[in-house]
Amino acid sequence: MSNKKNALWHLPLIIIGIIALLPVIFMISNSFKTLQESYQSILSVIPNKPTIDNYTTLNHQVNLVRLVWNTFFMATLVTVGKLFTGLLAAYAFRYYQFKHKNLIYLLFVATIFVPFTIVMIPNYLVIAKLNLLNSVIGVALPQLCDATGIMIFLKTMEKIPGSLFDSLKIDNIPNRRIFFNIVLPILKPSIISVGAMFFINSWNEYVWPTLILKDKSSFTLPLALQNYISSEGGTNFPLAMALSSIMIVVPLIIYLIFQRYILNSISNSGLK
Amino acid sequence: MHNNKKILPFLYLMPTGILLTIFMIIPIIYTFYLSFFDWNLIAPTKDFVGMRNYIEVFTDPVNQKVLMNTFFYIILLLVLNFIVPYVISLVVKFFIKRMQGAYKIIFFIPSLFSLVVGAMIFSWLLNPVSGPVAFLFRESGFVLPNWTNSGGLAIIVICLITNWKVFGYNFILLLTGLGSIPKNIVDATTVDRIPKWRMIWNIVLPMNKSIAIYVLILTIVQGLQYVFTPINVITTGGPYYGSSNVLYHTYLNAFVLYKTGNASALAITTFLIFLVLLYLEIKFVEGRSRYE
Amino acid sequence: MNDNNATIELKKVTKEFKSTKVIDQLDLEVAAGEFLVLLGPSGCGKSTTLRMIAGLETASDGEVLIDGDDLKKKASDGHTIAMVFQDYALYPNMTVYQNLEYALKVHKVAKDERQKRLTSILETLNLSDYKDRLPSELSGGQKQRVALGRGMAKKSKIFLLDEPLSNIDVQLREKARDEIQSLHDKNKQTIVYVTHDQLEAMALGDRIAVMNDGIIQMIDTPENIYKNPTNLFVAKFIGTPQINVLPVTYKDNYLYLGEHKLVEISKSSKIQTQTNYLLGVRPEHIKVSKESGDGFVTEAEVTKVVDYGKFTQVTLKLTSTNIIKAVIKDLNCIIGDKVFIQVEEKTSIIFDIDSQKNIYWDRV
Repeated sequence: MSNKKNALWHLPLIIIGIIALLPVIFMISNSFKTLQESYQSILSVIPNKPTIDNYTTLNHQVNLVRLVWNTFFMATLVTVGKLFTGLLAAYAFRYYQFKHKNLIYLLFVATIFVPFTIVMIPNYLVIAKLNLLNSVIGVALPQLCDATGIMIFLKTMEKIPGSLFDSLKIDNIPNRRIFFNIVLPILKPSIISVGAMFFINSWNEYVWPTLILKDKSSFTLPLALQNYISSEGGTNFPLAMALSSIMIVVPLIIYLIFQRYILNSISNSGLK
Repeated sequence: MHNNKKILPFLYLMPTGILLTIFMIIPIIYTFYLSFFDWNLIAPTKDFVGMRNYIEVFTDPVNQKVLMNTFFYIILLLVLNFIVPYVISLVVKFFIKRMQGAYKIIFFIPSLFSLVVGAMIFSWLLNPVSGPVAFLFRESGFVLPNWTNSGGLAIIVICLITNWKVFGYNFILLLTGLGSIPKNIVDATTVDRIPKWRMIWNIVLPMNKSIAIYVLILTIVQGLQYVFTPINVITTGGPYYGSSNVLYHTYLNAFVLYKTGNASALAITTFLIFLVLLYLEIKFVEGRSRYE
Repeated sequence: MNDNNATIELKKVTKEFKSTKVIDQLDLEVAAGEFLVLLGPSGCGKSTTLRMIAGLETASDGEVLIDGDDLKKKASDGHTIAMVFQDYALYPNMTVYQNLEYALKVHKVAKDERQKRLTSILETLNLSDYKDRLPSELSGGQKQRVALGRGMAKKSKIFLLDEPLSNIDVQLREKARDEIQSLHDKNKQTIVYVTHDQLEAMALGDRIAVMNDGIIQMIDTPENIYKNPTNLFVAKFIGTPQINVLPVTYKDNYLYLGEHKLVEISKSSKIQTQTNYLLGVRPEHIKVSKESGDGFVTEAEVTKVVDYGKFTQVTLKLTSTNIIKAVIKDLNCIIGDKVFIQVEEKTSIIFDIDSQKNIYWDRV
């Protein structure tokens, strides 16, 4: 009786699981179909005659190495920048007393609620002035700090007992050493998880790069993919799906390796 | 030593502070300034027009349409990206005993992918001519409407795409909140044989209020920005601004129509709406004195 | 059996968590209106047993019966069982009054009746002034009383309490204990009370079930458990200072500690010559004298003296490895004194050295 009831509750969850995964499975499967087969056997998950034609075509049409490099370089810049600024700021909030601390913290958190549209025009003008249009550095520059990171790092630091720091102070350990020898190692799991999230988000970023990167040689993967999607119809889906499949490899690998860390960091970001 | 203690925290805050000043605070002020001018982003001169841009935000029929669309987006996002994940997280927390971990891992996977990928997959899945859903509809004697021709339907599809991406993320956030409810409290209701739905309504939801409000506000603020990508990739706001929202329309004004002043006024209006939400967030979630 | 209470019966109940047996073939009968205390060290399975009676855990094997009927069937009305949790489990979003009222409201007790019950409970527990406060605005002792009140409000036949006093200050504990005692005297509910505190158990229980390793080691009145424990575990777990345990050998009507004669034993078929036993003597049963003779035959050296006011506890060295504690009243000792001790057969408990069972357990 109670087992049957239980099974019934699993039904919607399994359906959601299928909705989550099936589109991706279809996408990967279609990337190995010819355009013709993709029309003919539309519902078959396993291609009749698997082909890597789409991938070779893609390789002729775009510079895949360059695309991956641009995306990787931009994501790395953004991730390193956000981690660096976030760790320093969180450290200041946790271990120092200063005027208007509460207000400054709220101001930082408030940035999460600033719509990108309000900063995009001035930022575009600044990047243009700096001659960084069509450069991934120009994309990365305004994004080198992130309040979410500060929030999560602060939360982790708050879990380190204060008595530990009192004992370090009594032993007269300088602050710099406390940061590098004690705080940083304890923060390692959060750094990994937050870093992974930053990297994945930046890897997938679309809106701001479309404003800055107009030249095809400076494109990142999402922009290149957008070029394969026509809003008027007539998209060559197997080709677009091949590019998408290439694109999702990196986030998937990161997720497979750091899955537990990543899910934990999301949990932390929401709890105050 | 004493001096150090005063200077060091500001040194640590400086990188973030400088970046925020240059790329956040000054731009907000500058956008506010621009909202009083007529400009095309390139011309050397700007014409001061006073409140005209703001008046147009509310009087221009296209803007009115876009504002209505934004309202529709908010309602849909709330249902799809907040209420549905909340219900599901309640099911996972209180109605099943096994597989919780597996569901978390699986539901989160779409969050890893770019919205461009999501937009592409869904425009294939729901392609009215050659997509698999249209195929299934035909097989069972129905016709999948050409949703790109209808603003309302396009908005629904666009929200579904973002829902596909953020569902797992919001689900995990809400589930974590539910996880922080002490087990003994749930046990106490079990001993008292309180029906589960009453326990959820009378105890769980009130206890989980602050995280729920956080996710709710995040759903609106980020959701409106998330839909930008599928709009730009699939409909570019069409048909005739039918699927555009305030944020997309701001972008369109700024970088396609080169009506910088209108764009700025729209951006400031959006910001004011978000500020109200931010105020609610601080009031309910952050608490008043985190540090003191 | 009447309207106020019910019997509880556990028949060969086994509970496994991931193939670890927490409870092993447990049999337990609680009479209607009885106050039974489950006592044991942490991890002994006492809380799990209570949770199975509450219906929070399902037995892997065996049956839990209420008034002879299956627990699920009997307790589904929500009126049969009430439980107080160790950390109180108060609903943080509800006021004191709402906490007490909630279950009654859900189970459709009429408003007048609710008000009547709660007013009297709040008064009994001295909570009337706090009825509109939230749990977060209460002290530990107040929270504990609210938890107790919430259980009382249901007027259930069975009242389960899981270490209800372990989170409050020591000074408040005695008062709370009295409250629970008078509550039972008045309402005659069947109470199962879990604790790891032997004083609480001795003070409250009609009977005490001492548990260890998922098994009930002994179930009896507090007096019998103290005087005549079934085995070494029970003997050691009950009583402070702890019972003295000495390795002894039986020979020529005496129990010997090494070379020293310790206790004279009357003839018995259960005790055999040239065999080793463990001798248990409670500290207050060891007689101490400064002079030898008249039964005081074993010499000892005082190594520690602690004056507790109403009595003095001394630590005595009998041999290089055997140290015992004794309670003395009208004797002044200082460290280094030579004294003589006497142990009588009637206050001695003799345990088999292998099974650690009390060999005279059926003596009473």
